[in-house]
Amino acid sequence: MIHFPESYETIEVPAGAVVRSGGTDLQERLRSHNAAPTIVDLTGIAGFAGIDVNDERVRIGGGTTMATVARELRATHPALAIATGSLATPQVRATGTIAGNLTQHSRCWYYRHPDIDCFKSGGDSCPARTGRHLYGVAFDTSDCVHPHPSTIAMALRCYDVAIVLADGTTRTLGDVLGDGSDATRDHQLAADEVIAAIEVGPGWTGERGAYFRSISRFEAEWPLVECVVRARFDGDVVSDCRLAIGGVAPVPLEMEVAASTLTGGALTDERIADAAAASTEGASPLPETGYKVALIEATVRETLERLRNG
Amino acid sequence: MVAIPTNVNGTAVELNVDGHEAAVDVIREQLGLTGTKLVCAGGVCGACTIQLDGEAVAGCLTPATAMRNAEVTTVEGLADGDDLHAVQRAFMAHDGLQCGYCTPGFVSAAAVFVDGWRAQQGDAEPTRHEIADALAGNLCRCGAYEGIYRAVAAACRGEHDDVGPSARVDAEDKVTGAAMYTADVFPENGLHAVIVRSPIAAADVGATPMDGAPWVVDMLGELRSVFYAGQPIAALAADSLAEARRLAAGFPIKITPKPFVTDPESAKADNAPVVHDSKEARKAAPNTAEGVAFPARWNGNVRGPVSTRFRGISANRRIDRARSNSDPGLAELTVGTGMQLHTSFEPHCTVADWSDPQKLVVWTSTQAVNHIHEELAEHYGLDATAIEIHADFVGGGFGAKIAVSPDMHAAIQLSKTARRPVRLVLDRREELTATGNRPGSSTEVSLLVGDDGGYEAMVMKGEAHAGAGINGAFGLLAALTYRRAPKLTQDRDILTNTPPGAPFRGPGGPTAAWALESAVDQAAHQTDRDPLELRKTLDRNQKRIALYDWALDLDLWKSRTGPGADHGRFRRGVGVAAANWIYNLDPSTEIEVAIESGRLVVTTASQDMGTGSKTVLAKAVAEVFEVEPADVVVRMGVADGVNPHGPVSGGSRTTPSIWSTTLDAAERLKQEVGGRPLTECDGTHVRAKRAKDDRRGVPMTLPTSLQVGRGFSGALHMSEVEVDTLTGKVRVLTVYGGIAVGRIHSPVTARNQCEGSIIQGIGLALYEQQVIDPHTGLTLSSNLEDYRIPQLGDTPEMHIHFHEEGWDHVPGGGVGLGEVATISPAASVGNAIFNATGWRPTHLPIRPDRVLEGLR
Repeated sequence: MIHFPESYETIEVPAGAVVRSGGTDLQERLRSHNAAPTIVDLTGIAGFAGIDVNDERVRIGGGTTMATVARELRATHPALAIATGSLATPQVRATGTIAGNLTQHSRCWYYRHPDIDCFKSGGDSCPARTGRHLYGVAFDTSDCVHPHPSTIAMALRCYDVAIVLADGTTRTLGDVLGDGSDATRDHQLAADEVIAAIEVGPGWTGERGAYFRSISRFEAEWPLVECVVRARFDGDVVSDCRLAIGGVAPVPLEMEVAASTLTGGALTDERIADAAAASTEGASPLPETGYKVALIEATVRETLERLRNG
Repeated sequence: MVAIPTNVNGTAVELNVDGHEAAVDVIREQLGLTGTKLVCAGGVCGACTIQLDGEAVAGCLTPATAMRNAEVTTVEGLADGDDLHAVQRAFMAHDGLQCGYCTPGFVSAAAVFVDGWRAQQGDAEPTRHEIADALAGNLCRCGAYEGIYRAVAAACRGEHDDVGPSARVDAEDKVTGAAMYTADVFPENGLHAVIVRSPIAAADVGATPMDGAPWVVDMLGELRSVFYAGQPIAALAADSLAEARRLAAGFPIKITPKPFVTDPESAKADNAPVVHDSKEARKAAPNTAEGVAFPARWNGNVRGPVSTRFRGISANRRIDRARSNSDPGLAELTVGTGMQLHTSFEPHCTVADWSDPQKLVVWTSTQAVNHIHEELAEHYGLDATAIEIHADFVGGGFGAKIAVSPDMHAAIQLSKTARRPVRLVLDRREELTATGNRPGSSTEVSLLVGDDGGYEAMVMKGEAHAGAGINGAFGLLAALTYRRAPKLTQDRDILTNTPPGAPFRGPGGPTAAWALESAVDQAAHQTDRDPLELRKTLDRNQKRIALYDWALDLDLWKSRTGPGADHGRFRRGVGVAAANWIYNLDPSTEIEVAIESGRLVVTTASQDMGTGSKTVLAKAVAEVFEVEPADVVVRMGVADGVNPHGPVSGGSRTTPSIWSTTLDAAERLKQEVGGRPLTECDGTHVRAKRAKDDRRGVPMTLPTSLQVGRGFSGALHMSEVEVDTLTGKVRVLTVYGGIAVGRIHSPVTARNQCEGSIIQGIGLALYEQQVIDPHTGLTLSSNLEDYRIPQLGDTPEMHIHFHEEGWDHVPGGGVGLGEVATISPAASVGNAIFNATGWRPTHLPIRPDRVLEGLR
């Protein structure tokens, strides 16, 4: 069965049904689990895709593709745009949507394996914790040890964000992502709660952004560690700065201490090093993820050097 | 079901699709447009790329309903009638492909990029980085990336707007999607089969319930126990794939778990569960290598040692003495390699049709149509002409598709029972779990060089980690490399309850080279010698010595600095490694050249899995008749008891078996034709058999008609790397590949294969590793996100040099290169990292975490 609601008001999600936007996460899971649930496909809803800009906020329709976000927000929201343009592959960015990216499921190799149960698939353990977790968290704050997969969620940590649901109510990003302690879910929305749009505050005048992901290959690989930063400068001096890291915790982390370390001075090597070091504070790596602590420092440093080099 | 109007390749159609269906399945199965391939099913590889309203999208992750009211273009619709898209022509001209399975996706994505680029930039050429960025959603397992770069750049420059040449004879079929692979065969009235696999690493298994599905076949046999997770237990068939998968998920079979062991260290413990715990089980243990296993003793999970000795006692004594004297000429290392997976883009698949009891027709993705034909005819008691094997196009093999596989038997037996065609295609998770691997290893190597750089002694103790498989030995290959000297190698198989190995390009070669060539490099460093000069004194293979001289003269080598001379964040280094391989041939090879309807036709029961064998055949006939290769009709990929015996595509035996034989047949045919126009010679045909070499090799023929000839081929790889000491990332910037296999008969396809060897070697060196869950034995890296193969952007600049002397005793003057070209790239990368940083990597893959640990 498939439903194509034409407006937010007419969305109904029957029990057991799944909501689909671009489908770039869902289709893989349906195939590997040989599943054919009822699908509520949002792509026919008027206004679901597209970006509206006004002085107060930018409203990004939940069905806006990542390619569109990367292209159209490059000038006003460079950090979000660059991060979005760097994730996945051109093919996935062409059809995957921003709402889908926020609500995608864990990329843990245990979770994705059809023969294995874990907290997130209805089981009562995290087999990765005592098994293989080379790509696991370095901030161990949940019973599930795989990091949150959404690069866009990480980037949105650096903005004032309101998540608008189909019923018109809004949630904070924190409401949607949770605090990183819930091992059973990738996000805190109920099965029938649909993201209609993401409202993002306006960019700063003259804002710059940078993004870097540490991986083993050229591109198109889930980050070992990733970092995004947005900043505004008064001459050489950083006047405002927000920074977040991903690939290291059950939810992407905004690094307020690192950002405040940078604010009020120039991006010197020393200040970059201090901010990079500050980003590892509180890290609690697993047996196989000790390398990620050094890699957080490296990734933050590289991101900030990219910011400095424009 | 929902009806969706759409437009596919310019034609309006209405499709009926289910909500959960993906575009790729509807396009392939409902529309019959099988050019679009399904490979990873996870949006990683791009083989299913289609154009949706002008954008390249992944057909596996795009819901079929997204085609509603859209303009869809598949690879079949890229051309404007007979007028191919410039990108298709460019891929043909620059040989941007091998097996062709990824090609439809690549050209579909590249066409979007090239058209967009030219609209904005005119005929300017994009950088390699820009091309890699645009095509980061496409992967090629054969590693034809250099040709892909050249093709896309040339298409952007506007060089392929008109009809042009093709580097290989079957390229047009591959760039247009016309090439039919086994996985593209959807027979009418066909059943879909799936395999019921054990989710448990060790278990006793009850009898297969033959009523568990409409059609069931047992795959376990009499022993009734499984020894790895993913092992086939039974196969079943149903009218749809979804139904077959549903039945398999609930298949009522009794599985009683037993203790198991997944890691080699634990497997060696006295109290470890024993993987093969009876004489019968040990006898039935899967053989990792092609051919007969050397006999060896078993002790629990340890099988061996199998030893190679040449003055072995002297070897031990000399090394012991050097050790106690702290002799700098003694290099001792403990090294390891991970399990590498073939992951051919066309999975193992078979379509069997035994609906006519008098005739069994099998399409199967194989490297060995003739061998398979013989084996299956014997197994099922059929006359040679009562069974046909078809593999017109083969989407890669790399060694894993030589043998008759259990899934082949399953499809055949199900078809026999149902008297309907049966289609059995493994999915990517099965392919990345249970179709074989290059075994992992752990090796202690001691190499002693004398004050004069002479070869004093070598002792190598190797463990092969071939899962539940045996015969992963590689020490012999190390012993055969370089001069005679006191040498001792001891190989042990360490059995675990994990998927068994299979032959993989140059079986054992890269593993042996990783140990030996690291040790040679280390000895050169300790004795302050140039690593190439040291190899010149260690070696006596004149062909390889010529490669050392070639390499010594390269600017990259001359500008090399000492280990760890670089102190910045990014450190560059250059390393070399050498390779040795045996010369194989199939002495029973026969080739027929005939004239049909005025055209030259060349036939043999062999196959082209992307190596270019069809092109080799066409070139040989074309050379004799002084026509273009494209004018020759090539019939490969069918073994039917009539077509001449053709070689297995494996062990680098194909080209030295078919080239000269085709020349012989063509020359004799030319004599018969005697200058008449071909149109007057229909029906004339000549069959030639492979002429004997002038010098005899090993007087023994192995089961797949393999014979070892006289002489060793050689290779030398020189790699330049850049190590980011901050993030632990290694980039390979440049690779020179020197290959000494004598005359090169088809230079373009040979070069492409040598480049692909480097790409696969980089994968082994830096990225690829099968990861097993210790708690269940299940393969975690069973998708192409977690099993990481090289991307276009990981491709170094590659320069291939052929040394063409030294094989005059072989008809045609050259031997095969598929194996020798693949052995030394990984070791050269490791040695380059040592040169860059002063840190010697010992374990593959050299992931960022290992680099960070090593440099700490």
